[in-house]
Amino acid sequence: MLLIDNVAKTFGSQPAREVLSDVSLRICAGQYIAIMGESGSGKSTLLNLIAGLDLPDRGRVIFEGRVLSELDDSQRTILRRAHLGFVFQAFHLLPHLSLERNVGLPLALNGIHGARAQQRIDEILDAVGLSSRRRSMPANLSGGEMQRAAVARALVHRPKLVLADEPTGNLDAESAQEVLALLRIQLKQDGAAGILVTHSPAAAETTDEIFRLHRGRLSASTSVHETI
Amino acid sequence: MSAAAFVVLDAVVLRPMRRNLARTTLAVLAIALGIALGSSIYLINRSAADEISLAARSLYGLADLSVESVGETLQDTLYPSIARLPGVAVASPEIEIEARLADRPRASIKLIGVDAFRYAEMQPAIARTGNDSDVALELLNPSSVFLSATAARELGLSKGEVLNVQVGLRVEPLEIAGVLPANVLRESAGLIDIATAQWKFDRLGRLSRINLRLKSGVSLKQMKSSLQQLQQGQALRITTPGEATDDALRLSRAYRANLTALALVALFTGGFLVYSTQALMALRRRREFAILHALGVTRLQQLWLNLSATAVLGLLGSAIGIALGVLLANVGLRTLGQAVGAGYFSQNAAPVNLHPVEIALFAAVGMLVALAGALRPSLEASKVSTAAALKAGDVLSAYSPANPVALTLAFLLGIAVLLVPPIAGLPLPGYVSIAILLIATVAAMPAFIRAVLKIRPKTNFVAYEIAIAELAGTARYAALSVSAIVVSFSLMVAMAIMVSSFRTSLDEWTQKMLPADLYLRVGYVGQSAHMDESLARSLATLSGVSRIEVSRLSEASLNPELPPVVLIARSFDVDAIEDSLWITAKATARAPDDTTPIWVSEAAADLFDLAAGDLIEMQVGEARLETFVQGLWRDYEHQNGAILIQRDTYTRLNGDRAINTIWFWLSEDASLRSVRDALVANLPPGVQYDIRQPGEIRQLSLRAFDRTFAITYVLEIVAVAIGLFGIAAGISAQVLARRGEFGALRHIGFTRGQIGGMLAIEGSVLGAMGVLAGLAMGVVVSLILIYIVNRQSFHWSMDLHAPVSLLTSLALALVACSALIALLSGRQAMGVDVVRAVKEDW
Ligand SMILES: Nc1ncnc2c1ncn2[C@@H]1O[C@H](COP(=O)(O)OP(=O)(O)OP(=O)(O)O)[C@@H](O)[C@H]1O
Ligand SMILES: [Mg+2]
Repeated sequence: MLLIDNVAKTFGSQPAREVLSDVSLRICAGQYIAIMGESGSGKSTLLNLIAGLDLPDRGRVIFEGRVLSELDDSQRTILRRAHLGFVFQAFHLLPHLSLERNVGLPLALNGIHGARAQQRIDEILDAVGLSSRRRSMPANLSGGEMQRAAVARALVHRPKLVLADEPTGNLDAESAQEVLALLRIQLKQDGAAGILVTHSPAAAETTDEIFRLHRGRLSASTSVHETI
Repeated sequence: MSAAAFVVLDAVVLRPMRRNLARTTLAVLAIALGIALGSSIYLINRSAADEISLAARSLYGLADLSVESVGETLQDTLYPSIARLPGVAVASPEIEIEARLADRPRASIKLIGVDAFRYAEMQPAIARTGNDSDVALELLNPSSVFLSATAARELGLSKGEVLNVQVGLRVEPLEIAGVLPANVLRESAGLIDIATAQWKFDRLGRLSRINLRLKSGVSLKQMKSSLQQLQQGQALRITTPGEATDDALRLSRAYRANLTALALVALFTGGFLVYSTQALMALRRRREFAILHALGVTRLQQLWLNLSATAVLGLLGSAIGIALGVLLANVGLRTLGQAVGAGYFSQNAAPVNLHPVEIALFAAVGMLVALAGALRPSLEASKVSTAAALKAGDVLSAYSPANPVALTLAFLLGIAVLLVPPIAGLPLPGYVSIAILLIATVAAMPAFIRAVLKIRPKTNFVAYEIAIAELAGTARYAALSVSAIVVSFSLMVAMAIMVSSFRTSLDEWTQKMLPADLYLRVGYVGQSAHMDESLARSLATLSGVSRIEVSRLSEASLNPELPPVVLIARSFDVDAIEDSLWITAKATARAPDDTTPIWVSEAAADLFDLAAGDLIEMQVGEARLETFVQGLWRDYEHQNGAILIQRDTYTRLNGDRAINTIWFWLSEDASLRSVRDALVANLPPGVQYDIRQPGEIRQLSLRAFDRTFAITYVLEIVAVAIGLFGIAAGISAQVLARRGEFGALRHIGFTRGQIGGMLAIEGSVLGAMGVLAGLAMGVVVSLILIYIVNRQSFHWSMDLHAPVSLLTSLALALVACSALIALLSGRQAMGVDVVRAVKEDW
């Protein structure tokens, strides 16, 4: 489903800094992995390449059989819109839309409106336990609640792959566990693949497999403690 | 300053200013622009006022008092008795004649006939005229004239050349015996011998005034009362040179006051821009303030730092503005001259400059405007709830609705102020009302934006929905972005409606006032040139002329305390008066038997507090007349009032049978050209006259109108440009603050185009709100301008006429502009680095 093939990415010209030098990775449908690594090791950069928000200098990112670098920006955007979901560290709910409308955004973008959309929104809000807060504005929610809403938004349109960059970075341990559990359950329920970028071993352990990004290369990790 | 304080200053004030350099610069420039316009208009005004009063003053020389007649002229038999009054040191008789220049179209010169020796005692500087012989002796020569320095320069004449003036239809050559020193007679005028003047200009036995110098120790009051006893059946007007100067100034005061108001408008708009930039900055930096507060910067420190930084910005703006203003004033006085001043300002003014006190005053004004603009935002910034602002996902602006009761009260207050009568003859309450209404409108903008967004149509178009939600959520923030455009656009609309109403009314008025086919005019009020009845009779018999009417322009006095009004003595059919006069009120009754019917212009009605049906005593020359106000008429020509009277009555009254204007109606088959040619052929050669068709007069008056209002157009455009800058500043600040949001949207699957579309929608909706509010407020302000301000300052009434297509296209252009501005400021939001913005917390 997702194939990362000898990808490299360099930033800047003088001094040029090769953040990713040779990264390869294959993810199958329904597979849920974690990527760990020191700050500045290029984890977010890798996610951006996967999402087609940025293009590699070398190598290819193939998603659903399509080489991202061969698509133009709007084609990549449409691909992303339909098949990807995101959870951010800073939540990024739109401040002036109610929870319900925030969550419904990907559906609207994909042209799904009306009762069908409403039904799915109800279902996912129910699943993340926010049915009763559907009309609240983001500012009135706690961090944990906001991130649960973000998880709902990432999954509402049944994407094939969910990318989560430090989703628990702004949360206390308890809320973090709650959100991670939810994320895992929903991914498995929908059969979606997921990539979780995190610094937290505990978080990483909720995934199926852990990778480590170090000196521009990605390697499978046997023990989470190795990354600390 | 301690190191710690500097760190705080740096963090709270300096760095943010440097980071928001563009917006900071904009605020400084807005203040600078306001101050520049204000100080330049002030300077132009001051130099005009100085010029006018110096000119008026120089006319009187060392005189302490001046005796004039209430009607036209004094009898010179009065002179010996006044000169003999105890307490009078010198009495200098003068006669003033507005002489038509024979060899220049439509030009005239004021000739002052003086008794050379008495005059020299009033104006000792005259001795420095630089002639070898005695000026006084030279003046006695009946064909000599001395020109003032201004007149010599304007006419391009010098000593030894000849000045041809027209008396009736006769040409009188006068030899220029010399040019006076500049400080003797400042205005454009010439001196001749009084006996020559009386004789050559058919004013035997007449005087315009007698200037008196009093013996030391004699009080003005004493002198005035002994003069009053001396009246000899003539109503005397006794003024001091100071009072005469005031009269001269009053003529142009309304115009100058309105210019000043325009300058204030610019400053006002600048103040709003400071307010919105400061408020936007404060909103955007909520988190920053919260962090600083959490770290230990006290709220008072924050407030103080913010305000003092703003004061510095205000001072900076003022400094730039003052320099610019002095420059503008000098350039304006030199190049625009007549165009700027509607003829009130002389073209050859010396360079002007501000005095230190004035500089300090303008600097203080600029600083205060900046502080006033920054006060509320700074107070709010210092009150930011630390906990709320530090929380992730904190929203830029919470909706804090203005108190509806306070808003309603403000609007009511704005209306109520209109009931206050003008102050010192100036429409100040009108301007105060406009300011209050504008401030209230800006305060009501958030509520207005939310109300309008509530009734908007709903769609499935995601970019539109998000844009609307964003606007509704940040209504206050959005309102700030548009406050400057609301203010400037409403003023633009108001001016446009006012100018167009005025122009349309003027146009209709000229057509109404000019029912004849052709007009022949020789001379004007008080001018020496005129025609006589025999000429009129012979012109009436020319082939192609079916009928004529004639009029004579003279002066009358309704109140000895006030300047005289123009008296138009015209032959006309009383029942058909509405064919040639724009009657605005009519007396229901007919004039009582022992009174004379008169028709009073609106300006005269306002100045003398007259209504149709009133009885009033009028002084024409030496005659007193019981008159009945038969009707009021609209008049854009005589700002100090005019009165129409039947010519028969007038000639019976004082025997003056001279004619200034002849109206010609042509027979159906007559050719305008040939009649015109025949008229010219029948006028004595070498005589100055005006022959015009109504169309030409209409064009001339409209052109003069457009020239006068040109400066207001420029100021309007400047104000609207400032307003657009406000929108640009607001939207780009917001785009910067929302980078994280845009990043997230790009992740979710928004295309660049969709984000651009979203911003364009926000921009145009925002612009449309500003334009709508501005339009509504502009209409209200225009009503105030038309029905109150103009009526009070110029005594002109006009019919409302909105330039609908102009306003519509302006409004659309502004909305398009704001969409474009939003798009441009959003360009960075659509770049790649927005993707990285998702990790920025704020
Ligand atoms: N657009 C860019 N331009 C220049 N340098 C960049 C850009 N994006 C990332 N970098 C650099 O690439 C390196 C990796 O950045 P990245 O954000 O991927 O790190 P990360 O592993 O996600 O770190 P963290 O755990 O702190 O989030 C950093 O040194 C960063 O400065
Ligand atoms: Mg990262």
